[in-house]
Amino acid sequence: MADSGAQAQPKPSSSVKLVLLGEAAVGKSSLVMRFVNNDFQENKEPTIGAAFLTQKCNLPTRTIKFEIWDTAGQERFASLAPMYYRNAQAALVVYDITKPSSLTKAQHWVAELQRQASPGIVIALVGNKLDLASSNPNSGSSDGDDADAAPAAEGEEEGEEGEGDARRVPTKTAKAYADEEGLLFFETSAKTGLNVAEVFTAIANAIPETSLKGPRGVGGQTSLGRQEDARVNLVGGRTEGAKEGCAC
Amino acid sequence: MDTLDGTIWDVLIVGTGIQQSLLALALSRSGKKILHIDPNDYYGGAEAAFSLQEAEEWANKVDAGSSSAAYANISISKPEKAGSDASAPSLSFSRAYSLALSPQLIYARSSLIQYLVSSNVYRQLEFLAVGSWWVYSGEPDLASNVIAGEPSEGVGQSRHGRLLKVPNGREDVFQDQVLDFKAKRALMKFLRFIVEYEEQQEVWEEHRQQPFPTFLSEQFKVPVALHAPLLALTLSADSSNNTTTEFALPRIARHLRSVGVFGAGFGSVIPKFGGTSEITQAACRASAVGGGVYALGTGLSSLTNDEPSGAERNSETVGSGGVRVRLKDDETVSTQWVIGEESEPTTPKTTYCRSITIVSSPLTPLFPPIAEEAPDPACAVIAFPSGGLSLDEGIPDQPELPPVHIFVHSSDTGECPAGQSVLYVSTSLSGEKGFQLLGKAVETLLRTVDISPPPTVLWSAQYEQRYSAANSSLPPSSSEHVLKFPPSSVDLAFDDSILDQVKSVWQKIMGDDAGEFLVFKDREANVDAEE
Ligand SMILES: Nc1nc2c(ncn2[C@@H]2O[C@H](COP(=O)(O)OP(=O)(O)OP(=O)(O)O)[C@@H](O)[C@H]2O)c(=O)[nH]1
Ligand SMILES: [Mg+2]
Repeated sequence: MADSGAQAQPKPSSSVKLVLLGEAAVGKSSLVMRFVNNDFQENKEPTIGAAFLTQKCNLPTRTIKFEIWDTAGQERFASLAPMYYRNAQAALVVYDITKPSSLTKAQHWVAELQRQASPGIVIALVGNKLDLASSNPNSGSSDGDDADAAPAAEGEEEGEEGEGDARRVPTKTAKAYADEEGLLFFETSAKTGLNVAEVFTAIANAIPETSLKGPRGVGGQTSLGRQEDARVNLVGGRTEGAKEGCAC
Repeated sequence: MDTLDGTIWDVLIVGTGIQQSLLALALSRSGKKILHIDPNDYYGGAEAAFSLQEAEEWANKVDAGSSSAAYANISISKPEKAGSDASAPSLSFSRAYSLALSPQLIYARSSLIQYLVSSNVYRQLEFLAVGSWWVYSGEPDLASNVIAGEPSEGVGQSRHGRLLKVPNGREDVFQDQVLDFKAKRALMKFLRFIVEYEEQQEVWEEHRQQPFPTFLSEQFKVPVALHAPLLALTLSADSSNNTTTEFALPRIARHLRSVGVFGAGFGSVIPKFGGTSEITQAACRASAVGGGVYALGTGLSSLTNDEPSGAERNSETVGSGGVRVRLKDDETVSTQWVIGEESEPTTPKTTYCRSITIVSSPLTPLFPPIAEEAPDPACAVIAFPSGGLSLDEGIPDQPELPPVHIFVHSSDTGECPAGQSVLYVSTSLSGEKGFQLLGKAVETLLRTVDISPPPTVLWSAQYEQRYSAANSSLPPSSSEHVLKFPPSSVDLAFDDSILDQVKSVWQKIMGDDAGEFLVFKDREANVDAEE
């Protein structure tokens, strides 16, 4: 059936379109892979164009199905971004904590989203590769299953550092910026899994209920919510009624 | 920063209008290296959708002559608010709007729907139902009205004329209280004929070129008062005497055959968030997932091929069959195929006047529920029949003006905020007269829909749309590897012949390993199965 695994489940379920943006090689695809497959690849190839994946996120009162658009960070794909953030309800803007230029690029993306994307979009700023910061003990990861969650830098990273702390973006710098712009903020490691699920859960929680349920919410806002009463089902030859939240 | 200079591609697609985007989608699993460029800095070409600010930028560019040839004479107006009343309805912020330049209905039986499903792209889109169809009647006298049924079937019975609901198929006609027996019988007979008109060539073959109203009267004795609603279903832009029987029959049949396919009481849908533009973007996204590379703001300045007969603009040549392309910013790429748009239409050039008007009211009376199990309607169609409006009242013997069509989109489309609606208005009358006619239609509609507080116009754009290529047209070339689509359609319903064009280009590129057109497995199959 269509995209509503919802029907069989007791909890209401909604789809959320999420886009990942950020400089090349900051770990966007790795974050998605960790979130969707709980897996990590040491030498992940750059994304060409874009990738599309889905993953569900269970909240106490509802299920969110993320439709994830993982975009390519390389400059030659920059024209793609508007197609992906158009009508997206959430964006994950990723930088690499070992690379200050990637935070600058992230700030450009945030500005572009604020200028061009849907007004209600939930933006999370994510500093990835936390495992490369020495001050981070690399523990406490609930779902990291990699045995190689070794602390400190791996030789092949772009930082020139051999040993010690590869962090070049202080947490408080990024946090201050995120607070100022009203963004969710996390530092993560796609490699160990640290904080990855938390980012998506926080986004799921931050999506206003009104934007999931229908347009007649906040005045003056174009709703991005899936409007089950109006939606036409193209497969199965009948219309999707107001299934959402219906107790039958 | 990467550059495109010197890169080699299998297919270069110029323009991101509906045809090019569907082609990119069709090629997205072919393994071909695809470069998809657009001289505009937005997606969608002639089918684009804009926020208020983007619409203004577009208008400025077209004014400056730097944008697509498909549009001209654009002007945008924002009526001043009456007084300084803070509670007066006002425009929301720019991005609360997504306004379609060329909105179209998509019939349930359109092959586009079938391909969107078979390619799985429909999952990225949302479709909304087109609800009631209305015909404006300038005739204020209730008694003389044959189609309205109970008074509740009409909206706004003021002395200004009214809107009559088009019966939605045979049951509606049956239940009609006002139609007299003879009229009902004639109409039923026609409706029975139309569902299988292809098999009854003898009935209409000789009358192909006859004006459709004449055909209705002479062959079926359908009373004149019923001509307007039947003509409305054709969405013909021409005046009734220029609407031929061979044009009208398939279109009415398409309408009637589509009703009920996706639910009771409606036959066509519109994509949410700005119409066809949304489909072009979903198609381009899928193409990008397949590895397609996209560059906006990148046009093509010249083509060269190695065939001596080619229209060579400079002396560069490339290996056999290939085409060397110079882009606007002086980068050069090589490609096996170049696909763009024809610069001149093959059929006579037509110009339409169009407008987009944002109104301070949801215009609820135009959106009665479709049927019990049906979705909420998000679009209403209003037809001002041929000759139904006139501009020079008092001056006798004016030629009959062509019809005006208004698509009213509710805020459910995501094209405007709640409490407002968007009117997409079009007519085949061109020039200043055309714009006047559009204005008259909007004014008449707003006056006729009896609703309080009375709706006001918050923002309006008017423009001419020509049946000619956007700026993605290609320079002349004799190469067999340079293929051109005809310019985008100005039809008010999605034109399925577009898919035939796309398919034939796709077939040429794919040759023998074409496989099935636009039939793809869900890329997500594995992920979903794991859950
Ligand atoms: N140490 C460490 N390496 C990471 C982490 N996340 C990603 N990487 C590595 O960084 C490189 C780039 O990761 P990707 O996920 O491909 O980056 P991307 O942002 O998707 O890159 P583009 O697709 O080119 O935009 C890969 O070699 C990953 O293995 C992390 O959290 N820690
Ligand atoms: Mg990637």
